[in-house]
Amino acid sequence: MATNAIDRTRRMLSLVTYLRERPGARVDEVARAFGISQDELISDLSVLPMCGTSFRGGDLLDIDTDGEHIWWYNAEATGSSAGEPLRLAADEATALLVAARAVATLPGLRDGDREALLRATAKLEAAAGESAGASSRLSVTFESEGEVFAVADRALTERRRLRIRYYSPGRDELTDREIDPVRLFAVGHTYLEAWCRRSEARRTFRLDRVASVELLDTPADPPPVEPRDLSEGLVQPAASDPEVIIEVGPGGRWVAEYYPHDTAEELPDGGLRITLRTPDPATLRRLALRLGRDGRIVAPAQLADSAREAARAALAAYDTPV
Amino acid sequence: MAIAKAERLMNLALCLLGTGRPLTKRELRTSIEAYIEAGTEDAFNRMFERDKDDLRELGMVIDTVESLDGEIGYLARRDRNRLPPLTLDAEEAAALGLAAKVWQQARLAGAASGALQKLRAAGMPLAGAEQETFSALEPRIPAGEAAFEPLMIACRDRRPVTFDYRKSNAAHAEQRQVEPWALECWRGHWYLAGYDRERRAERVFRLSRISGRVRSRSGAFTAEVPGVVAVRESVAEWAGESATGAARIRLRAGAGYPLRARATWTREGENGWDELEIPHGHGLGAWLVEFGPDVIVLEPAELRADVVDRLRAVAKG
Repeated sequence: MATNAIDRTRRMLSLVTYLRERPGARVDEVARAFGISQDELISDLSVLPMCGTSFRGGDLLDIDTDGEHIWWYNAEATGSSAGEPLRLAADEATALLVAARAVATLPGLRDGDREALLRATAKLEAAAGESAGASSRLSVTFESEGEVFAVADRALTERRRLRIRYYSPGRDELTDREIDPVRLFAVGHTYLEAWCRRSEARRTFRLDRVASVELLDTPADPPPVEPRDLSEGLVQPAASDPEVIIEVGPGGRWVAEYYPHDTAEELPDGGLRITLRTPDPATLRRLALRLGRDGRIVAPAQLADSAREAARAALAAYDTPV
Repeated sequence: MAIAKAERLMNLALCLLGTGRPLTKRELRTSIEAYIEAGTEDAFNRMFERDKDDLRELGMVIDTVESLDGEIGYLARRDRNRLPPLTLDAEEAAALGLAAKVWQQARLAGAASGALQKLRAAGMPLAGAEQETFSALEPRIPAGEAAFEPLMIACRDRRPVTFDYRKSNAAHAEQRQVEPWALECWRGHWYLAGYDRERRAERVFRLSRISGRVRSRSGAFTAEVPGVVAVRESVAEWAGESATGAARIRLRAGAGYPLRARATWTREGENGWDELEIPHGHGLGAWLVEFGPDVIVLEPAELRADVVDRLRAVAKG
C-alpha cells in the first residue's frame, strides 16, 4: 500500500521514540509492532539517518541496521523531548475511538473481548484529551443478529458444521442447508462466509436472513479457500452473467445506488438506463414489481414478461380490471 | 516526492521538538536542507506553511512566539506534545488492534494505524498468540464516497460547506449550503446531519447522492449544534422502520418469510393462505408489491389502493 508523506512522517516519529527505548531491537519484531513489512521498515531506516536537529550543527540520527538488529549510536541527538511519545492527533483519536465504539456494539462479541475494548476505549479517551472531542462527530452502527451471530462465532471457534434455514429474497423461499463456516465479516450488515454442503460451493449468507440456526456435532471441513477479497465490493458479477437492462424515471434512480451495475446512462427525462449483470435475472422480478411506474425492465424480455404476469395475477385477487 | 517530503517533515518536527527556545523561520531555512534548496523566498514560505499544517495534522502542537525585536519563532513544547501516561494490557492492546483494522477509508485507516504506532512507541504491549484469536468477526467500515473525507474534516473543524445534492427522486442536483454536524454509518451507508441554511432546518443527507466537490466556506456556524444528533432515527423513518399503524394482509402459505418474521399475529388459514397483521409505516406498499400474487392487502383501504395502483402500473408496462 502506498503511504503518503504525512502517514510516513507519523510512523517515523513513533519509530524514533520506540527505538530510543530499545537498543538493538530486532527488525522483524519492530516491523510487527508497527504493522508494516520488513521492507517498509528498512526503507524508513534508510531515511532516518538524513533526519535530525541539524541546526545545531549536524546532529543527524546515527541509526543503522544489519538487516536483523537496529542500532542507534547517538540517541541523545534528538534533544530534550523529541524522543517522547507524541500526543494523539484529532484524526487518530477519532479513527481509533469510533472504530472501537462500533466494534463494542456488535451483539455477538465475546464478553471478555467487549470488556477489554471498553476498558481500552476509556483509557484512550482520557489520554487523548481534547483530541477525543471530534470523535463524537462520527459514528458507526453495525447490524448483527445476536443469536445467529453467537452460534456462528462458536461454530467458527469450535470448527463445527451448522444447519441453517436461509431466506433468499430473489426467490422468496426458505431453504435448509448445512454449511461449514469460513469467516464472519461486517460491511453494513453482518455476513457469514461458508462452504455450502448443498451446493458444494462457497456462499455468503447475510445473518438477518438466517431464519434459524443449529450447531451440529459434525466437524466443519471446508476445502481450503482464500477468503473473498471484499475490497471490490460484496457483489462481484462474473463477465459471463446475463445482462439486464432497466430504465428508470427520476423516482427510480435509487436502483443505481443499491444495485452494483456496469453502466448508468442519463436519460433526457431525468431517469437512468442501468445495465447490470446477475447470474439469475429471475431474482430481479421483485425489483421490477417494486419499481411500478418508476421504471421498467428493457431486457431480458422473459423478466419483463414475468413481472407483468405476476402483477396481473395479483390484480385478479382484487377483482380489478387492468 | 513522498520520500523527500517525509524527510523534510521529519527534520522540521525534530527541530521543533528538540529545541528549548523558539526557532525563527530564518534559522529553520538555513539549517534544513530541503529549505536551503527551496529557491525563492516565496517558494520557501509556501513550503514552510504547508509543512506546519501537515505536522499539526498529525497531532503536533506548534507554538508561535514573538520575540522582543518582533521576529516570530516556532517551537513544539514538551508538555503540550507528549502523550499522557497510558497503560494498556495485552488484551486491551489486541482489542484496539482489531478495531484499528475496520477502516477501509484510506485517511482513517492511516490515522488508526498511526495512533496504534504512537501507542506502541509509548509501550503498548504486542499481542501474544493467545490474544490474536480475538472474536472471529471481521468488521469493515466502508467509506468509498468522495464526499466522505472533506465532510469528515468539515465536521471536525466545524466549517460550513456547499455541495450539489440530488434528492432520491430528483433528476438534477441542487446546491445546498450546510453546517455539517455529524456523520453516521448505518447499514453500510454514510449519512450527514447538519443545518441547511436555505431551508433553515436540520436535514440529513446521504453521501452517495452528493455529486461533485464538497467546498468548505469561510465563517462560523450560525445555528446552534444540538447536543445529540439523531441521524439514524431520521433515516430509519424514511426506510419505513417506524410504524404508524397496522396492516392486515393475506399471504400465501410458505411465502414471504420476512413479512412473517415481523408479523404481530398470524392466523393459518385454509386454501393455502394465511392471514397476518404487520406494522404499517412509510414504504410498506412498495415492499408488499414485491411479493406479487403471494400477497393480498385487506386493510387499511389506502394501502390496498396504493398496492393496486402500483400493480396496475407494472401490468401495463
